[in-house]
Amino acid sequence: MADLSIDFAGIKSPNPFWLASAPPTNTGYQVQRAFEAGWGGAVWKTLGEPVINTSARFAAVHFGGQRVAGFNNIELITDRPLEVNLKEIYETKRRFPDHTIIASLMVEPKREKWHEIVKRVEAIGVDGLELNFGCPHGMAERGMGAASGQQPDLVQAQTAWVKEVATTPVIVKLTPNITDITVVARHAVKGGADAISLINTINSLAGVDIHSWNTIPNVGGQGAHGGYCGPAVKPIALSMVAECARDREVGVPISGIGGISTWQDVVEFMLMGSTGIQVCTAVMHHGFRIVEEMIDGLNHYLDEKGLASVTELIGKSVPRYSNWGDLDLNYQVVARINEENCINCNKCHIACEDASHQCIDMLTNAEGKAILQVREEDCVGCNLCSIVCPADGAIDMIALEGGAAPMSWNQRSRIISGVNGSYSEAEVG
Amino acid sequence: MSAFAEFDRERQEIDNLVGLGYNVAGIYEDLDGARVTFIRREPAGGPVELLLLTADARKHVTTLLVGGSRQAAAEIHR
Repeated sequence: MADLSIDFAGIKSPNPFWLASAPPTNTGYQVQRAFEAGWGGAVWKTLGEPVINTSARFAAVHFGGQRVAGFNNIELITDRPLEVNLKEIYETKRRFPDHTIIASLMVEPKREKWHEIVKRVEAIGVDGLELNFGCPHGMAERGMGAASGQQPDLVQAQTAWVKEVATTPVIVKLTPNITDITVVARHAVKGGADAISLINTINSLAGVDIHSWNTIPNVGGQGAHGGYCGPAVKPIALSMVAECARDREVGVPISGIGGISTWQDVVEFMLMGSTGIQVCTAVMHHGFRIVEEMIDGLNHYLDEKGLASVTELIGKSVPRYSNWGDLDLNYQVVARINEENCINCNKCHIACEDASHQCIDMLTNAEGKAILQVREEDCVGCNLCSIVCPADGAIDMIALEGGAAPMSWNQRSRIISGVNGSYSEAEVG
Repeated sequence: MSAFAEFDRERQEIDNLVGLGYNVAGIYEDLDGARVTFIRREPAGGPVELLLLTADARKHVTTLLVGGSRQAAAEIHR
């Protein structure tokens, strides 16, 4: 059995599975039940001046029979006084001293406000702080959350104010509602952040009821933008984690967040540079006990890979994440259809005809059976046919061997500049 | 005509010129494709200009140049 424990910027945790700051970490009752179920840590629902929440708060996007493909909320931070939360944090830490409790914090962007809350929260005994610069709704209208997180200089300043008094590691939680998340990440680090966590939720409107014309959700017939999360956002989160992980000016541990629902998702986020991960929507959908399957799955995976520690996964795929301009233009894959597995539904043919390069022919073989066949010389290897194919093993994407030497777009651009810049002709062959 | 056939026709034009001893003297890419100028030193020939329309032919001609650069670099290090 592999060692699942992690050290996240000096914060020890029995495993990489943390609950994100959200409704499942609202109370001591919930967090203690989560720890009993197996979660290694919890980021307490954001503390700050208590708010008043609306009813309704949540909405989901169901797609193709999959319930909660995406999840939308307009709930804000804690609606309970700080002392009530601190008392429950204290009790929870006393019962579970080896589990990780991080306090998520959000106050107005004023130095004295940050100093006050940091001192009061750390006095109760937490393992670290997470600065919520990401909440996209409600708090942002008051200059907090994403409104702070979208201003790199404000992220840097507030992080620095926190670091002036903090005695535990400081994690800065980043908003995805920005053009380049690495800019904010770098400013967090300049402000002294010990780690970053990403992503917070994405600006969203879950839907419009086409019968009542109300927004989904709505509060007495009025709606407002909320934060989107759940499986649908995972690719966006993974990309942003990867961008931060490969940015040398960021260079701090990453807590990966965004649509993580399975142990496989956890592996992906860790391979792409996360030291640990946080989960919310999957727990809101299925409950705390999903962590049991995540732990079992991760353990089996690590054993199969012959890895002694989960930390051996961290960042292993980062060097494989590059810029488009450095990809090899001469690498070539083509589709091959396996007749024995093909069910002749023609979806690949339709997709190729209508949306790609018209290279899948509908033919009749020697036995008079209808078959689909790829003209490989015309196939650009786009993958679309294999994506839409509903039959396992019916289409393989095959890498062609013995092609031309590797050449990227950037190499090509340089060589063209070289040719055009010289007065003598360039040698070829 | 299939995309491959269009590419193959352009590739043959490139390879024919290279086979006759022509080298690439310039590549200018614009909205209409790539205008590639070939000239030959011995015996003097050209310039000959090809307008390459297909992506694969535009890739092919620069792959030849990248190959040439690598070959030259390898010879320098010998």
